[in-house]
Amino acid sequence: MNRRDFIRKSICVTAGSIAAGKASRLIQTPVSAFPDSTPVLVVATGTDYPGLVTDALGPLGGMGAFVKPGYRVVVKPNIGWNRAPEYAANTHPEIVRAVVEQVLKAGASRVAVFDRTCNEERLCYHQSGIKAAIETLKDSRVSCDYIDNRKFVEVDIPMGKSIQKWEFYREALEADLYINVPVAKQHGLTKLSLGLKNVMGVLGGSRGKIHHAIGQRLADLNTIIRPDLTIIDATRMLLRNGPAGGNLEDVRIRNTLTASADIVASDAYVSTLFGYQPEDLDTTVAAHRSGLGEMQLDRIKIVTV
Amino acid sequence: MKWDLLHSKRIWRIISQIVFLAIFLFLFRKTDYNGTDQIPYAVNLIFRIDPLIALSVMLAAKTVVALLLLSLITVGLTLLLGRFFCNWVCPMGTLLDFSHRFIRSGREIRFKNDRKIKHVLLVLILISALFSVPLVGYFDPFSILVRGITLALDPALKTIVSHPFDMAYTHGPEWLSRFTEPVNTVLKKAILPYSSPAFSLALISALILAGVFALEKLQRRFWCKNLCPLGALLSWISRYSLLRGHSQGRCEGCGICRSICRMNAINADNRISPMACTLCLDCVDFCPSSKITFRFKNPVVRPDLEGISRRAFIETAATGLIVPAILGIRPIRKNPNPLLIRPPGAVAEDEFLSLCVRCGECMKVCIGNALHPAFLQAGVEGLFSPVVIPRIGYCEFVCTLCGQVCPTGALKKLSKTEKQKVVIGRAYIDRNRCLPFSEGIPCIVCEEHCPTPDKAIKFHLATVVNDHGETVTVKQPYVIDELCIGCGICETKCPVTGRSAIIVTRAGETRHETGEAFVPGSPYGY
Repeated sequence: MNRRDFIRKSICVTAGSIAAGKASRLIQTPVSAFPDSTPVLVVATGTDYPGLVTDALGPLGGMGAFVKPGYRVVVKPNIGWNRAPEYAANTHPEIVRAVVEQVLKAGASRVAVFDRTCNEERLCYHQSGIKAAIETLKDSRVSCDYIDNRKFVEVDIPMGKSIQKWEFYREALEADLYINVPVAKQHGLTKLSLGLKNVMGVLGGSRGKIHHAIGQRLADLNTIIRPDLTIIDATRMLLRNGPAGGNLEDVRIRNTLTASADIVASDAYVSTLFGYQPEDLDTTVAAHRSGLGEMQLDRIKIVTV
Repeated sequence: MKWDLLHSKRIWRIISQIVFLAIFLFLFRKTDYNGTDQIPYAVNLIFRIDPLIALSVMLAAKTVVALLLLSLITVGLTLLLGRFFCNWVCPMGTLLDFSHRFIRSGREIRFKNDRKIKHVLLVLILISALFSVPLVGYFDPFSILVRGITLALDPALKTIVSHPFDMAYTHGPEWLSRFTEPVNTVLKKAILPYSSPAFSLALISALILAGVFALEKLQRRFWCKNLCPLGALLSWISRYSLLRGHSQGRCEGCGICRSICRMNAINADNRISPMACTLCLDCVDFCPSSKITFRFKNPVVRPDLEGISRRAFIETAATGLIVPAILGIRPIRKNPNPLLIRPPGAVAEDEFLSLCVRCGECMKVCIGNALHPAFLQAGVEGLFSPVVIPRIGYCEFVCTLCGQVCPTGALKKLSKTEKQKVVIGRAYIDRNRCLPFSEGIPCIVCEEHCPTPDKAIKFHLATVVNDHGETVTVKQPYVIDELCIGCGICETKCPVTGRSAIIVTRAGETRHETGEAFVPGSPYGY
């Protein structure tokens, strides 16, 4: 066994054990707040964005129900584009900061915020306002570093129907807790870019090839990265010319945030904010069929706060 | 000989060399994105104080370039002090002095008339400039230096330094990278360039710079004595300079000053030629009887003239005259290269070639690694001028840095909103390669990345038979010419292996009213 094999295998084992750990938490968390196994989705509205995060997490038991002291946490926003926050191409920096703040308060030992960007990474981290927002926390436990290409490792996708192997970012695989914080926006190929699509930011390789069967491939990839919590930022929704945007007329202010441990339920609900039905999105359907979550709105407990 | 620091005069010269080299390297490192779209200072300063650049660019463009008027300071100081610039300021000179101890060979090899070469070069550069054939970028020491560092040495430095750390990180045990990674992080932040770009002509640029240093084998400061056209220009000015070195009183004739003079500026009668002397002050320090001093208003009568004969001048001028006529009748004038995409701030092609000094700063600062030195895409006279190669990198929609660092205005400084309206080219789709057309495979990565607020790439639904014989509905992209600005991100990101299925050509460029670089017709412009 050479070094490379060793790393690959140890990561598979680690990923497997993490997945097992996560699965158990997935069952535990909602159970504490709601006695039945119906996925819970919280929809919070308001103009105080940091407050929205607190509101949305409340019915789920707060961040403390997810983060245990000493956890290494990944917070994965969308920092894909060189656009300012008002263009709704990236997750709002205040939302990202509020999530990180709560994770820190819950006792995490490390929080990593990152995204593999589409435009040049320095431009994206700065223009999105996310790097600056994280730096204002002045906490040595938080990092908002650019992607380090050495950290991509090839992972087998045993449940994959369309792809069986891809490169994933090591920090995303090794995290004790993974919080998915996408922005809700229009996308030419997938109609919308929501929680499931946000996995693209932890992928290595030539991501354009994902597009060749994007619905099923995103579902396959999401069987490896199973976010423990998905918080969708629909404070501003990009309706046209997504995912890059650039025109304020294409942005609708919605001041909405959703939170759920079920990524498919999150996507299913938010797609209705754009006027779609959950089944209109191939990605949502494929993920539901792959057993990643619930897409029938009547089988989701939607809590509005 | 022991170096008596207390009474040494040259120590001041050495301090000055170190300070200016440090400033140069600092500015070079700062010529990069810093978190905002503004670069307050950049290495273009060295080009703006270079009178050779100023003179040749203004002659070529037939206009006063305000940015370059800073070089009048150098001219003024040279009138006062002589060729001090070459030995007190010039980073190329400092690097040559520093490297001499490693490169030198036993004895100097001299050639007849070798010093004249730089004067011939200078005349050639200025006469050609007058006829708008830009040569200065190939011979100016800073163009050679900055280009060599930007295109080759700096990226190579990153590789050399990072490689051992990457090896340790990727293949070593984890405890090892716990020690090496913090060092790596510090090096990355303090010394290394942020990105690892790849440049065309990197090897040639490195070889040209290496050649300047290799010449130290023949003579000390071979470049400065014999080749440097900036040195030649400064020597012309120094003919009238006020500060002169001379030997006072009776000299014992030991000849030490002549043997140590790096510029061979001291003749057999111990007269110091102001055209050659770069005021290094070695002779002042080393003269055993301390006879050599530098003073204003010396009684020295006429300097030893250095230069070229009238015949040589006319011959050189004639060459400078013929070249533009020959260049004007090549096919490229009627059939310009469609892939020659210039940076957004570029002025019209002829003026651009006159103004561009091939310094490589725009390539250094280009955040997308889009800009590369041209080989023959723009003709021989376009060698090393910046060209966008979209398959390697694209022009970032929100970035205006190249226009900010251009020392001559060949690239105009554009505001972000101005830049976003400038068309540098237009994309077209090669349907034979584009997956939704050729194989019925969903893709539209180009549409996803298209940065114009109203996307220039849109798609329509089409029912096609894919390569498995199935009838499928796919989204097929198309380009709307009026919206496309030619940034090239579609070509960079196109996932088709090898040649992109969407290609940007220079068609529709804003800088040419007709969208074409050259109006077909007579090479003489009528």
